[in-house]
Amino acid sequence: MEYIISVLVLMGIYVILSTSFNLIIGYGGLISIAHPIFFAIGAYTTGVIAIHWDLFAPLTLLIAVAVAVIFSLMLSLPSLRISGDYLLITSIGFQLGLLEVIKHLGWTGGASGLGNIPNIIDGANRSEMFALISIGLACLVFLMIRWLLKGPYGLLISAMRDDEVAFSAMGRNAMAIKLVIFAIGSGCAGLAGGLYAYYYQYVSPEQFEILQSSMILTMVVVGGMGSQWGPVVGAVLLLFLPQAIGFMNFPPSVMGPLQGLIYSVLVIAFLFLRPQGLTFSLKKGSQ
Amino acid sequence: MNFSIFLQILWTGIAVSSYVVLFSVAFSLILKVVKIWNFAQAGLMCIAFYAMYVGFNYWALPKPLSFLLGYLLTLGASWLLHHFGIEKLRQRNSTSLTFFIFTLVLSEMMTYVFALAFGTEPLSLTKSIMSPVHMVGGIVISEWDIQALAMTSVVLVLLHVFMNRTKLGQFMSAAADNPSLARLYGINVPRLHVYAFAVAALLMTLGMYLFGQKVSMIPNTPLQMMLFAVIATLLGGMGNVFGAAWAAVALSLLQALSIFVIPSQWQSLILYVFLFVTILFFPQGFSVQKLMAWIGGKKA
Repeated sequence: MEYIISVLVLMGIYVILSTSFNLIIGYGGLISIAHPIFFAIGAYTTGVIAIHWDLFAPLTLLIAVAVAVIFSLMLSLPSLRISGDYLLITSIGFQLGLLEVIKHLGWTGGASGLGNIPNIIDGANRSEMFALISIGLACLVFLMIRWLLKGPYGLLISAMRDDEVAFSAMGRNAMAIKLVIFAIGSGCAGLAGGLYAYYYQYVSPEQFEILQSSMILTMVVVGGMGSQWGPVVGAVLLLFLPQAIGFMNFPPSVMGPLQGLIYSVLVIAFLFLRPQGLTFSLKKGSQ
Repeated sequence: MNFSIFLQILWTGIAVSSYVVLFSVAFSLILKVVKIWNFAQAGLMCIAFYAMYVGFNYWALPKPLSFLLGYLLTLGASWLLHHFGIEKLRQRNSTSLTFFIFTLVLSEMMTYVFALAFGTEPLSLTKSIMSPVHMVGGIVISEWDIQALAMTSVVLVLLHVFMNRTKLGQFMSAAADNPSLARLYGINVPRLHVYAFAVAALLMTLGMYLFGQKVSMIPNTPLQMMLFAVIATLLGGMGNVFGAAWAAVALSLLQALSIFVIPSQWQSLILYVFLFVTILFFPQGFSVQKLMAWIGGKKA
């Protein structure tokens, strides 16, 4: 039971990550895969604050969001004037470069990671409480993004993504919209990172490498990029599916690669057999 | 600063750049001819390495035969990648993001397959990665250094001749510059893509052959090395295969010599700084003329 509850906590975290990533890549059309670095920034900010200062946890999470937003501007301000492949490569460089910095700083715990993050929920129901908070925050993020996309700002986002030249010719500021989308998406990733740090009480740089980018991207692609429910479906499916082999009692040296293999085969299968993602027919039905 | 230490680092930097040059040229060639950022190269590099490893260590094949085995398997995998992956996606007019996801995830898949098959302990092609050394003017020169530099130089010269002096190489350049026009002239562009992959497979296999005798690797290593090839390709100029080779040498040297100015643990950060600077200020590649023009413009 404890195991299933821990998967539920992760599910909430990954729904936040995939939904916010979908806002950037699916709706904004900004091809960046640096999402895990904002997840990492949120996790490290929370970890460092929790270790050194005894701040109220929600306030710490807010600071984690703010720091992730500031770092997102560090990437987006200089690089959003480029697009497509170049933005993609820049985002990889930004992600790996910052991780390299984290690996060599003493106060982040270096390559061995940051441990001993204080526990904020004591008692026998700790995991259940975290699962509730995680799923609650995931719902909140989902609804906030849905509200944003359904409103007038959502129309602006769609118009900019579909034809940026025409959009700019009408006197609209495409750059401002890109910055806002990037900041909101990255801030949400920071929130997920904060939650992650509080739950696991340990973060290490290797958890936020390019494989993490691939995992979040997989959730969005499998669920359906540019669909509101797609990333949710993708995150739930991809977190529960590999658990099926969890009961086979393979050693960790086999389990890790095997789960990775399942992810990668799924992505490739979806790219060729159902590139529009799982929620495509639902989308069509609702249109 | 001790001058002999400077020369030693310079020499080692040049020697180590050999395999990086080969990986960068392979990546740049595919980008030039096939027009994709082939992150699946990391997976292909894994295939080349582990095929040679099996040939050499399990089947006790001599090195040339192990190399041939590595090349043939990498070639086969490249053909499968092109025929069943890239061509299919191209027929569907897939976006560059789709190509990126496909090639990256394919590399990851190969990484997991090799992690399951060979584990995650570092492996090298030969039992020992130490090579006999000679002292020349106070500099330690290993036999591996000489072998690596000689092989890389010969292959690059042959590639230059192939690209500029043979009909096939010129067709490749033509198809890279304007595929539609090349088709009008009766050039079979998809077939040229296969040839480009065949050449790239050879460069990758040779690179892994040299790398595997110098360094131990885990299945994830080629994926980590890809960033270097990407930066060299950008710095050398998109579509400039030999520019990527020079950029790879320059980056290797810069990284090696940076030890004089920054602590060794920050050396790898230089790559990322270069990536940022290149994309933001030199997205079409770096050239001395452009730099001078830029400086001239600033002064004016």
